[in-house]
Order: sequence, then C-alpha cells, then structure tokens
Amino acid sequence: MAEQSATRVLTCIQCGKCTGSCPESGKTPFNVRMLVRKKQFQSVVDEALPWYCTSCGACTIRCPRDVKPSEVIIELRSKLVEDGDIPVAIQKALENTFVQKNPWGRSRNKRADWVQKLDFEVPHVSETQSKRLLFVCCIQAYDPRCMVIPVNVARLFQAGGMEFGILGEEEACCGNEIRRIGESGLFEELQEENLAAFQEYGVKEIVALSPHCMNVLKKEYGDNTGIKVSHYTELLAPMIKSGALSLPGSFEKKVIYHDPCFLGKQNNVFDEPRDMLKAVPGLELLEFSRSREVSLCCEGGGGRMFFEVEATYQRNAEVRVLDAVEKGAEIIATACPFCVMTLEDPATEKGLVVKELSEILTEVL
Amino acid sequence: MDEKERNVLVVGGGIGGITAALELASCGISVTMLEEGPSIGGRMIQLDKTFPTLDCSTCTLSPKMVEVALQQKIDLLSWAKPMAVKKKGRGFTVTILKKARYVDMKKCTACGVCSEGCPVVMKSEFNMGTGPRKAIYIPFPQAIPNKASIDRREERLCKAACMDACPINTNVPGYLKHISEGRFAEAYKLIRATNPFPSVCGRVCYAPCERVCNRGQLDEPLAIRDLKRFAVDSFDITALEVAQVQKTDRKVAVIGAGPAGLACAHDLALEGHDVTVYEALPEAGGMLRYAIPEYRLPKDEVRNEIDYIRRLGVDIRCGVEIGGQTAADEIKGANEAIFVATGAPKGLPLGVDGETLSGVVDGIRFLRGVNNGEHTLPGAQVAVVGGGNTAVDCARTAKRLGSESVRIVYRRTREEMPAADEEIEALLHEGIEIDFLAAPVRFLGEGGKVAKMECVRMELGEPDESGRRRPVAKAGSEFSIPVDCVITALGQAVQTSFLESIGLAMGKGATITIDPSTGATNIEGVFAGGDVVTGPAYVVDAIAAGKTAARSISAYLKGEMPTGEAQRGEPQKLSVEELGVLTGRIRAQHRIAMPEEPVGERISDFREVGLGYPSEEAMAEAARCLAGQAEGCIQCGECERRCEVKAIDHMMKDEIVDMDFDGIVLAPGFDLYDPTEKKELGYGTLEGVITGIEFERVCSVTGPTGGDILLNGKEPKRFYFIQCVGSRDRQSGARYCSRVCCMYTAKHASIVRDRIKGAEIYISYIDVRAYGKGYEEFYKTTQENGTFYIRGIPGEVVKGKDGLLVRVEDMLSGELREIEVDLVVLATGVRPRKGIEALCEMMSLERDEYGFIKVDAIAPSKTNVEGIFVCGMGSGPKDVPDTVASGGEAASRCMEYIAKDIFS
Repeated sequence: MAEQSATRVLTCIQCGKCTGSCPESGKTPFNVRMLVRKKQFQSVVDEALPWYCTSCGACTIRCPRDVKPSEVIIELRSKLVEDGDIPVAIQKALENTFVQKNPWGRSRNKRADWVQKLDFEVPHVSETQSKRLLFVCCIQAYDPRCMVIPVNVARLFQAGGMEFGILGEEEACCGNEIRRIGESGLFEELQEENLAAFQEYGVKEIVALSPHCMNVLKKEYGDNTGIKVSHYTELLAPMIKSGALSLPGSFEKKVIYHDPCFLGKQNNVFDEPRDMLKAVPGLELLEFSRSREVSLCCEGGGGRMFFEVEATYQRNAEVRVLDAVEKGAEIIATACPFCVMTLEDPATEKGLVVKELSEILTEVL
Repeated sequence: MDEKERNVLVVGGGIGGITAALELASCGISVTMLEEGPSIGGRMIQLDKTFPTLDCSTCTLSPKMVEVALQQKIDLLSWAKPMAVKKKGRGFTVTILKKARYVDMKKCTACGVCSEGCPVVMKSEFNMGTGPRKAIYIPFPQAIPNKASIDRREERLCKAACMDACPINTNVPGYLKHISEGRFAEAYKLIRATNPFPSVCGRVCYAPCERVCNRGQLDEPLAIRDLKRFAVDSFDITALEVAQVQKTDRKVAVIGAGPAGLACAHDLALEGHDVTVYEALPEAGGMLRYAIPEYRLPKDEVRNEIDYIRRLGVDIRCGVEIGGQTAADEIKGANEAIFVATGAPKGLPLGVDGETLSGVVDGIRFLRGVNNGEHTLPGAQVAVVGGGNTAVDCARTAKRLGSESVRIVYRRTREEMPAADEEIEALLHEGIEIDFLAAPVRFLGEGGKVAKMECVRMELGEPDESGRRRPVAKAGSEFSIPVDCVITALGQAVQTSFLESIGLAMGKGATITIDPSTGATNIEGVFAGGDVVTGPAYVVDAIAAGKTAARSISAYLKGEMPTGEAQRGEPQKLSVEELGVLTGRIRAQHRIAMPEEPVGERISDFREVGLGYPSEEAMAEAARCLAGQAEGCIQCGECERRCEVKAIDHMMKDEIVDMDFDGIVLAPGFDLYDPTEKKELGYGTLEGVITGIEFERVCSVTGPTGGDILLNGKEPKRFYFIQCVGSRDRQSGARYCSRVCCMYTAKHASIVRDRIKGAEIYISYIDVRAYGKGYEEFYKTTQENGTFYIRGIPGEVVKGKDGLLVRVEDMLSGELREIEVDLVVLATGVRPRKGIEALCEMMSLERDEYGFIKVDAIAPSKTNVEGIFVCGMGSGPKDVPDTVASGGEAASRCMEYIAKDIFS
C-alpha cells in the first residue's frame, strides 16, 4: 500500500478536496493537501503535524485522483515512528500493545473478564457449530465504560438465538489503530497472531463489535482469509426485522444517531443502525445536520484515543453535542466505543446522555 | 459528381448532426436524419446562452433547425433510431426503428390544446427534470418538428370501463390521476370540462362507473363518486373563471331549469349563444333543488353551480309557467331553437280508497315542501309507500322531521327495490324499517284524517315487462297498520299537455318522442331531453341529454345537420388472463371509505351525511386506480376529445424500415455526469444543489420559470459554482478534462451577475482552462465583474444555519473557508451518450477507454469503419464551435467517400 501511494502522490493535482473534507482543517495547523505536496518533494514536515489526523478517511474517499492522502499521512508517521520522534503517549501505547496485546497495557489474562457479567456461559469459538467469532476489541474488553457493549451484544444475540463464541485471552488487538499510527511491523505481528488463532479454531465468520476492528479485519487482513467479517449491527438489524429478536419494551426518548467514520463513510453501514433504532418502540429518531457520508468525525481514531494533541481548539465532539442540543435530542446514540468515549464528556456537560446502540436495545429487551 | 443520387444517413440531431446534414444537403446529397427524441436541437438548444459571446443559444440554433425542416434534401425522422447496419457494396443498409408518436404529423397544428388537458404530468427531459411536461407534449416552443407526440410506455392496466359506463364519458382515470398526485384543482377542472354539475354528481350520482370499475374484479371498485366530491370540495367554484367566448347573438330558449335544461344552457352559453331558461318554480334546479333532500345534497351546492351558469350569461327566469299555446308561440317566435326539459314533476296516484284523506301526501310534493323550508312534523307514525329513491328520501326526511316511527311499505323484496343500495343501507342504519311484500289496499280515516292503512301481503309471480317479478296479492292476508301520515312515492309522470297544441309527437305516458342521438323532436328547431323524454331517470342521464341537445342545437344554428357524437363502446371486463397478470403486479388494497356523520347525530337535523375525504385519504384512494398506474400515457383520451383536427391516433404502431445509404455520419452527442454518487456534494439529498445543465434550464426563458432564477419561488442571492465534478476524476472513471466546464461556469457567473442585483458569486476551480481567442478575456471579465475565484475544490457541502455550507481550502491563501450560500451549481463533466455502446456494436466501431468513438488522429471524423464518420462529442469533449467545425469536417470526409466510386 505504501508503494502504491508513493506513485499516486505524484499525480496529485492539488485541488484541495482533501483539506476541504478534513475534520481537522481550519481549526488546527493540519493541512492534508500541504502534507501531500511536501511528500511530493520529500520536504521536511513539522513532526507534530501528522498526529492530528483522525484517519476518518474522508480525504481518501473523496480524492478525485485516488491519491489516498490518509495513507500518505501513515507514511509520514512511519518515518517518525522509525526515527523515534513520536509523542510519549503513543510510544507507551505501542509498547503496551507489544507486551499485552492492548494499547492500555492491561493484563492479557483479564481480556475475557467481561463475560462474568453475563448469566450464561459464552463458549470458546472452537466449541461453536457456526464458528462465529465475536471479536470483542481492546477498549471494550477492559474499559469499564465500554465493557457493557460486549455484555449487551452477547445478551441480544442470546435472546435472538444467534450462536457465537469468543477467543477470550487469545484475542489480540486488531491493529487498526496501530497501523494508522505508522507501526507496520507491530501491526503485522498482531495480524499474524490473530490470523493464526482464526485458522487454528476454524473461524468462519467474525462479528466485530467495534467498527475499527471490523474495518481492519475486513479490509486489511488480506483478501484470502475466507472469513466473512461484519459489524454486529449488520446481524442484529435483520434479526429485529425478521422478528427473531423482539423488543417488547418502550423507550420514549428523542435519539440522534451519530455515524462512526469507520462504520459509515468507510464501510457504508448507514441503514442498519438506523433501522434498529426505528424498531425501538416509542423512540423518536433524529438526524444531525451532518449525517451519513458527511457525518462529522468525533476525532477518536488514528491513534487519537491514546494521546491529546496540543491545542485548545473546539473539539468536534463538542460541535456534535451542540448540534444534537439544537435538534432537540435527549440521547446521542452511536455504534463505536471511541465515539462513545469522545462524545460523553461534552454531552454530560450539556445534560445529554451518550449510549451505544446495544445499550438502548438491551433496555427494551 | 455524377448524376446518381447519393444518400447519407445522419444519426443525431444536435448542432453537430445539423451542421453535417445541412452541409451535405447543400451539395445536393439526400440526407436522412434520425433523431431519437421528439425534436432536434440536442444539448445546445437546452443552453440559455453560449460562451464567450453570451449569445442566446436558441436564437443562434433555431434558424439552423428551421433550415433542416425546410431543406428539401433532408428527410427528418424524429423518434427514430438505427437498429441494425449491414454493409452493402461501398454503402450500408440500415434498419431503422420509427417509434409511434400517436399523433398524425400531417394534421397536428401544434396548438397545444392536447397538452393543456392531459392529466399525466411527467418530468420534462428538455428541462432536465426541473419542470413538468405532459404525456402528450411538444418539448419546447421551437421544437422541430413542431408536432405533439405521446409518451406511451405501456398498455393501460385496465379497460377504463368507468368512462364507457358514464353517460357523459367523464374522464375518470384522468381526474383520479390528478387527485392521486395532489393536483386537486386540475382534477376539478378536468371534471368540469364535461360536467356542469360536478358537485351534484359528486354527491348523488348513481355512479354506473363504480359498478363496472375493473378494479372491482380485483378487490373493490374505486370510490369514484366520492373522489369527485373531494375534488369539488377542494375547489372554490366562486373563483372559477368565466370563459371568454365569442357571442353569436343567436337566441335559444330552454324550458325547465332542471339538470337537463341547465346543462344544455351551460353548454350553449359556452358556444356563445344567448340562452333564456324558463322555470315554473320559484328557484332553479328542478329535482336537484326540490326533490333531493338537503342531507344528501346541500342546496347551497346547487345554487353555486347555477350561479356559475348565470355568470356564463344565461338568463334564468323563475316563476314563469309556460302554459298554453300563446306562451309557447311567443317563445318560439323570439328564439331560433327551443329545448324542452320540463322533467317528470307529477307524483303518480296510488289509486286506492281513502287517498284523498288528510294526512295522505304525494312524496314529490312532500319533499318539495320540506326543501322549501316547511319543516313541520308530517305525523308521529309515518308509512311511506314505494321502493324507489324518492320513497327512501321521504322516509329519511320524515325521520329527520321527528316522526316517531317511520316505515316503508314495498310490494316486492329488497332485491327488486329500485333505490340505490347504499341509500337503503343508510336508511336501515337510521332505524327505518321496510315492510317487504306488502301493499296498501285502502286508507281509513277518523274525522277526515288518515288513521289506519289496510294492506295485503304479496308474493312474487312471473316477471313483468320491467323484468322484475310481478307481485301478486295473497288472498286473505290483509292486515292493517296504524298511521297518521302516509307518503306515496310510486313514481312520477310528465306534464306535457301544454305542448300537444304545437303538434309535438308524444310517446308512452305522454313523454316526448325524440331522436335519441340528437334530442331533436318532430318539429324543426324544437329539441327535448331529460325526464320529460325518458320518464323519471338519473341526474347524470338528464345532464347527458342536455349536453346532447346543446351540441345538436349548436349544429342546427350553424345550419348543419345535427349528428350524434360517436358513442364509446360498452364497458369491458378484464379477461381472466389480464387479471392474472395484474394480481402479480397490484397489491390487494381495500377501498378507503369516505367518512360519514354518525347516525345518532345526523338524524336530528338535515346536515350532510357524507363528510368528504381528508386529502391524504383521497390521494391514497385515487392511487388505487389501475389506469393511473401505467407509466406515461394512460390512454384516457382527453387529448383526442380536445383535438379539433382529430390528429390523435392511439392505434399507431412502431415501424421498422430498411433503407440504403452511401455513407453515415454519426452525431450521437453526450450525456452529463450524474453527481449523485459524490455524496459529499449533496446532489439529490440537499435542496439547492443542482447541476450546470439544470442551472442552464433554470436561467432559460424556455425553462420552467420563464427565465427567472428561482429556488422554491425565491431568488437566491449567494451562488457557489464547483468545477471539475466528474472530470479529471479517477474515481468516477473519467481522467480527461471535459473542456467546456470552465467556460460554461464563467458564463453562468456572468448570467447571475447580469440578472441578480447584489449577487455573491464564488467559483471553485483547480485551474481555469480558457484557451484561445475570446476565452481568456471572458474569464477575466467575469472576474472583474465581481466573481470570487477560489483555487480549491470544496471537500463537502453540508446544511448550514441559513443555507448551504461549503467547506473549501482557499489554497492561494492557505485558509480553510466555510462559505454559506443559497445555491450550489455543480459543473458536471461530459460522458459518452447513453446507448453509444449499442450503436458502436451494431456498426463495428471501436471506442476509446472512456467509451467515446475512436477516431483517426489526423482525420478526426474518420472511424475505424470506412464510410462511417463521427462529429461532435461522440468522439470526445468539444465546445460548440469545435462541434460545428467537426460537423463540417465529417460532412466533407463523407462527401469525399461517396464521390470516390466516380473515379474508380
């Protein structure tokens, strides 16, 4: 991929579409188009700049010349990683991932602790008939706020009669963020480890709980894995529609849905989350001024979960919350743990609640 | 060249094809020009202006188009395209498909009356969907050929039996189509075009249409009558314009102001005749005014309809009884024609003892009294004798006046009851009983007032002449009912004795004898119709009779022989096979009933029972009409009815012909990139994001707004033009520059600057390509006149606070700008014309990687096939001057080719 973008870079016509699409443009010193230009001439780049990128993918999706600017950013980062010129927090995240297979450095043997919150057993994927793997994701395995997501999805699947298993401690970080940080060596290691596990246990289908994991498993683990990868909403929405999963409760709230970049614009899953919300009795679904393909990035991706950029500009999450308030929403729903984390602070400040989709569904189960 | 005639085929009627054809024809070559659409003119005729001179595009091109039409050597075939091409010697045999246009081009005068009446509204291709057109249409005023054509895409799904069943052939599918798509006023006007009493028929018509509705074979018939009422209710008749007609100063008298007489007067007035209507009763309307009760037909509705007829100039004189020879003569003397429509106003007597007792009243007289405002209690115990609509009306009226018990006594069974089913239902609902198989034999009174009705039980015997089984009295079955009021409603008779003296021929029951197709009586200039001819019948039959007579009288006054109008066929049913096909396509859907007043409330007064539809329900019910579900023309025949020169021919068929040519010039033209897939630009999802060609139509005087730049009726002030949409774009598969967008965008900016004072205009560009003479200067002038050129293509267009927010990096300053505007225009790039693939395949032509026709590098009109040449955008993007040049080039190369055999 690096090789491809090197040649593509020379075909850039400097139209500025990337900068116009970028959620960091204007308010920060980050200018994608300028960085691509510098890459064309191999000029020196201020080492702080590449870290602003949230890897939302808008530039690459929209670039008329298919230059893939977000990949150019990863190349710039790789160089910095190689030279060791990276923020300390990033360094720490990489080390943690190397050792404990998760960026937070939590003990690997606690990766399946979340299942204790369930009142039923979750089998190892090798013991399932369907060989359907629930890929949990690091943040959802360890973070107390996000741990409810796998718990809820497991309950929903159980209620809808959808068989699934997990890898437990054997699951390693998917590497989506690691690759975007520019540490391709570590990414490849994670990929190999996970693929080996998939192969060993005959995994046929992966249901990812985080759009970030889904993205990398689906698009960057190679084309010949033979494993079908989807986001859990792609399974739940049809279960609700067919009646396999019924939602008898009532949720009388005004809910606005925030499209995660890795689920929406990068993987075109727009309708399933909305269909799920529309199926919830009593729920009134609202839309942001910017939704679907032009949804505003929450700035949680591309390694931005692990460190704070040095700036005092208005965060997109706050822009998002203000829009939600204006639309009259009581709850911001989303389908990504990073979005939950970034949106929650400004939302709480404005008296709004952030909920991951599975949380709302579990309430009406 | 030798004497032999040469023939060249030119495919495509844009500016390229037109240039080539005219060049070839001017050199004596016979040209056949095929245009796939209804008119030549191509893309250029869609443009408002041309760059860089800002000349009016239509003014530049239409003389050329006219030249094509006038050039003897050019045979223009519109709606035509090649289907197959075979090499024949040095030339070609081409199989040509000529699509049926369903309009006789020799007869059509392009008057446009057909389009006006057509109820099918479609998106105008000429206006790029920014405006509507009809299913029968002329795409634009300067079209060549300037002839209408019908866009018929499939056979109608039903037989439109409704229209055949209606005595006045109401265009039911047409008005239902209008209602289903929310055009309520249009629906009303369409109904009004053949019916002077829509509000009456929308309430009390017996709706023969619904009985035969083909949808009824599938699930349930459409609520045609109630939907008519909906259209009427949503239109204010007092705002209906009075048609301006040329007065003829011919005088016609109409005797009787019932539905027949007034319908006749209405139609005659529209023909410009002076009409005087004589009515014996104090108010006009006949049975509509005096018989049908208020709860079924509010009298204000009738008055409004009649007021409109007065507004048409008809003189209605009420309280004038035409009795006796003198009066009749007087009228005849002052008028050139007379229409007799005196109805059947006389109730028939029962013919039993005691009928003269007080408390025994004639039904028609009873209803007349109540309709006159005499709301007195007829009696506590009322019996109504009879089984027709009048009997039902009397019973329901008595109930409303407060009678304790009301019953109907009828000598046959429910099956034979002539009253409308729904009326009987409503009556039973309202708690009125019907005593079937019973007939009164005498009335007994106390103190001169009726107190008891003696009846006898009946049984049904053999059918009589009416086809119904004759009731026969059962011996010894007498019984009696205590009553204090008996209303007899056994039918009505005509009163024509005053006409005998003038020698009018009479038939059974003293009804007037006429020629049913014209309404003419045995006396010249005297016509008759309605109940006075048929005996008591339905309102719509009377209206039909009045209309027929009006047509005949008009013809008579012109000195023509009155001939009847060609009758439509009998209503047809769908065959089993047709039904089978439909059940696959049409989802079963129940009829949506019109809401009614609850029984408990309505029987206490004379409020209208039917409440009328809410709009959404009316639209949903109308959308059930099978005819309306056909794509394109629904074959309702409105155009046929309106066309004065009888140019419509629904029976036309597509034709396929083989023709020989010595050479072929292709001018297939181009399409524009559809930017829907560029989601970030909001085309198709955000209001106010349009394409350049759509903007062109919005600016054009022949466009949907007549040249006013409007967005939802408001003039936008802030404009943002985005260049290179779908050009130089690897993602949409077009890496080439489209060559015209920089200049047409500059042109758009100039047009805006010219027409909208104080407009704020931005243009996003990557680099401006304004090569050659006049172009760069034009670009600079556009800049100087106050257009902000921003180097940088917007990343996205999103909803802003008060408009559309464009996010763009202004690269020359390095700043990210967020600019709020009202209108975003996407300068979409050029694409090969849809269908070019098939065209190239049939002619074995090679195409380039983008799909344009491959041409010789130094003979740019030569294709890989000898004898086939291409011009214009068919081989790649070109502006108008280049296209014109290439048209000339293709023509001369073609001439060179076809002249070669002279020397060989």
